[in-house]
Parts: sequence; C-alpha cells; structure tokens
Amino acid sequence: MSDPVDRSRSMAEIPNLCLTLQNRPENVLVVRQALTGVADSLALNAIETNDLNTAVTEACNNVVLHAYGGEEGPLEVDIYALANAIAVVVRDDGEGMEPLPDEDGAADSEITSGLGLPVMHALASNVEIKGRAGGGTEVRMEFEAPNASVLELRDGKQRDSSIYQEGQPTGTVALMLAPNALVRSVLPRVLSALAARAYFSTDRISDVQIVADVLAAKSVDSISGSHLEVGVTVAPRNLALRLGPLHVGKGESLLSAAADGLAPVIERLTDERHRIASTDGSTETLELRLIERQH
Amino acid sequence: MSTMTAAPQLTLRSASGTQEDLRELFLSWQHDRDARARDALVRRFMPLARSLARRYGRSSEPFEDLLQVASLGLLKALDRYDADRGHSFASFAVPTILGEMRRYFRDSGWAIHVPRGAQERALKVRDAQERLANERGRAPTVNQLAEYLEFDTEDVVDALQAIQAYETLSLDAPRPGVDGDVISYGDSVGSDDERYELVELDVTLTSVLRHIPPRERLILRMRFVDDLTQTEIAERVGISQMQVSRLLRRSLEQLRTLTQAAS
Repeated sequence: MSDPVDRSRSMAEIPNLCLTLQNRPENVLVVRQALTGVADSLALNAIETNDLNTAVTEACNNVVLHAYGGEEGPLEVDIYALANAIAVVVRDDGEGMEPLPDEDGAADSEITSGLGLPVMHALASNVEIKGRAGGGTEVRMEFEAPNASVLELRDGKQRDSSIYQEGQPTGTVALMLAPNALVRSVLPRVLSALAARAYFSTDRISDVQIVADVLAAKSVDSISGSHLEVGVTVAPRNLALRLGPLHVGKGESLLSAAADGLAPVIERLTDERHRIASTDGSTETLELRLIERQH
Repeated sequence: MSTMTAAPQLTLRSASGTQEDLRELFLSWQHDRDARARDALVRRFMPLARSLARRYGRSSEPFEDLLQVASLGLLKALDRYDADRGHSFASFAVPTILGEMRRYFRDSGWAIHVPRGAQERALKVRDAQERLANERGRAPTVNQLAEYLEFDTEDVVDALQAIQAYETLSLDAPRPGVDGDVISYGDSVGSDDERYELVELDVTLTSVLRHIPPRERLILRMRFVDDLTQTEIAERVGISQMQVSRLLRRSLEQLRTLTQAAS
C-alpha cells in the first residue's frame, strides 16, 4: 500500500476540461474525440495521442461495463494541464472496478479480461486509483506532455457545471472548457461526434463544425466565468446546445457575429436561437438548435 | 477505500489447462527450451496479443500487420518471463507487447507523419461521401458511410475531422470524376468561372472579403447569402462537399483573423 494521494495539490488544480455523460458505450467515442482535441492543442504526436486515447478508453470502458452493474450512471472525465504533463481523471459513482479474474476460471477468452489496469499502467506515466467517499471510483492517469503548460490555468472554477444542473434531459452531455485554445480544438470535435449520433448528414455535420468554430472564436470575450460551459442534448435529427455563462448582452453579439459582407453565420446555420437571462440577471445563456434539414 | 499504485497481478486461466499445467509449460520452456511447450504457450496466449492489438491499434493500421507485431511482443515476453519470480505472465506480457507495438509505430514514422491508415481512410470516406451523395441525391449520414465502407462510426467521424487538415486532399489531389475519369480539382474549378462570374462590383464586398480568393468568396456567398447547402454548392462548383466544408471553415477563419487585424 503506497502513500495516500496528495489531495492538496489536486485541490489547487483547475480543470481545463470536464465532461459529464451517461456511461453508455457510444459516449466513449465522445470522450475520445475530446481527448484528440486536447492532444491536438498540445501538439502531441500520433503515438502519444494513441497512448492517451487507449489508456483513457480502458478506464471509460470500465465505467461503462462494470461501475453500475448494468444500470446507467454518470461517467465523468476531467483533464488538467500540469507543468509538463496532463492528468486525466475518470470518475464514477458506482460499485467498483472490473473484477480481477478468479483462480478457477474456465474460458480462454478470459485471459483477455482484466487487462484494463495493466494497459493503463503500461501507457500512462502514473496511475492512481481510489475509492471515493460515498461510493464510486476515481482513476487518475498522468501522461507526459512537454507543452502542457500552455493550457495551464492559474485560477478559475472547479468542476461544477451549472449548465448540467439546470434540469437537463437525461443523456445531456455537459462540457466545461478553458482556455480558448482548448475550446477551439475540442468543441468542433465533440459537437460533430454528437451530430453524427443525431443522424445528421455530412453536410449538416460540417455546418455544426462551422457553428462550433464561430462559438469558439467569439466566446473568448463573451463568457463571464473562467470556463465556457456547454450542454448538448441529442435527439434524432435534432441537436440542442446551451452555452454560458455569458456577459449580459453578449448572447446577441454572438448571434449576430457576421463575417464581413455575409449574413450572420450562426443565424444562417441554426434553426432556433434563444437568449435566457440567469435568475439574478447577472449572466445569460444562449440556446441554439440545429435540425437535419434534408429528407 | 484503498489506493493502488502498482500494477495488479493477473491470474491466469484457460479452458484447456489449470494453473498447474501452465506452470509446467512455462518451466519446460524456460529450463529445457522445449519448443512444444513454447508453441502451446503461444497458442494459449494468442488471445492476449490479439486483444491488445485491437485495443492499442484500433484501426490505425491493417489489423493483420498489427497482430503480427503483437505476436512478436508475445514471443519476447515468453523469452524474458521468469515463472519462478511469481509474477503472473499476463501482467508481465502487457507492457512488453504494447512496447513492441509502440516501437513499430515509431519505426513507421507515426511520430512525424499522420498514420497512413488514417489518411487512406479519410480519402475513402471522402470518395464514398461523394458517391453516395450522387447516387441518392442527398448527403449521407455517418452511419450510412460507416455501413457502406464497413468502418466503425468513429473512423468516419475521425475522417470528417481529419479531412480538414490533410494536405493530401489539396486541390491537386486526383479524384474520380462522376463518369469514372480521373480529374483534378483544378480542372473542375476552372470551368466554373464561366458559369459564375466573379465580379468585383458587389457593393457589400468589403475590404476584408477582398483578401479571400475568388473561389472561396464564391463559396462563402453561395452558403451565407444565397443559402445553398454544401451539397448544392459542391454540385455547382464541381468539388466534393467535404472540400466545400474545408474551404468554408478555412476562409471563415481567415476572415476572422483579417477582421481582427483590421480593428
């Protein structure tokens, strides 16, 4: 048994990315798209990206397959940029990890079960696993990333997505992102993965990417907090986005953001747009809906 | 509540043998270099190599190539494993096999270039997108492309993203024409200038938009002023919808940079 995890350090860390999703197999794809976006923004090469993706996939698959005993529950993934590394935390509220094989097992195929942890240990530079007070498991993996400090945040909020908490339908994917460089590389990827799930055509998925580009570019001086928070609800041929917290009035300027000489880009590409003031009136949230238009 | 930092030990199991059988096989390979024992061990642990190849490689390289590399890793692990030291073989072999695959990727230039497999897939997705759009008169979904190409949906999603970045998909890249002839993007774009006069007289054309090349400007106007879909633009301009997508994203980014510089 090794020393307890140094909580004081991780308490001070500000996450660059927090994802909250249901522990469904198809959501692992969303996590992988987010990771690839992170890898891109840190200029990791294909091998480093593959190591990161493979190890985190193992941790997520464990939550999908084993954490909730066949039921649904939340899967949380947080990413922190450290000085020369990134830390990825995969968390659940469930019952535990993939069972280690028993002594008297019988099938050859079971040689390949229980590989998740050894794979994580082989690919991450450091792995810590602990039970959480009140149930659940947290796996923290670190990966070397020489450029990681470009994303390091000095201050900002901890995981607490107001977007997710506001009574969103089950299945909503919640995302918190900072700084802007990360928003630019992660948001288009995550939204295209979700648009693909909503049975969007490649044509419309590209529209979603363009919307994500505009939101990423314009959010830099629109958000009132440290992180851009995005909630995405997926239904067949229908993608609903909720973004915030924005400075009052910035929702409008985001919507009317026009490339010079062109019609407002977001207005052209989305089917519904609403601005919603927070209850205390200090911030606002933007709601956008994209519908697959072709039949 | 517990904290673990060391790799957990895996316990071995198999249908055709018990722990004891396995231990005997390991001992006769290690001490007596009994080739039959080694063959039996390779057969026994091939599912491990296969599973790791699938997990680590996904579909980045042809699976059979990767399986071969993983098998080589398995052989190395069998050579180096010391059954007397009490570690389970599987937990010993996982880092060895993964290390072999990493080395293979490094030697094939993965650290510098976009993996070949990923590039080839992106081109296949682009071509299939065009073919299906032509056949059905509408842009396909990711699921339809995945089904058509027998790819994972994730591979298609990756390709849609990657297509934006690859220089191999530049204007000069040859692509099949509708009738099967190979034409280059340059050819098909040239003819459009006749159909769409790119006049500079448009009063809404501000100084910033003037910095965008005429073809990109045309595409921007078709999408955001005339409200044509990307597929409709692709038909009119004679390039693929994916190319339209790439040009739109790039020129919007350029416009943002130019506007920022101007203000």
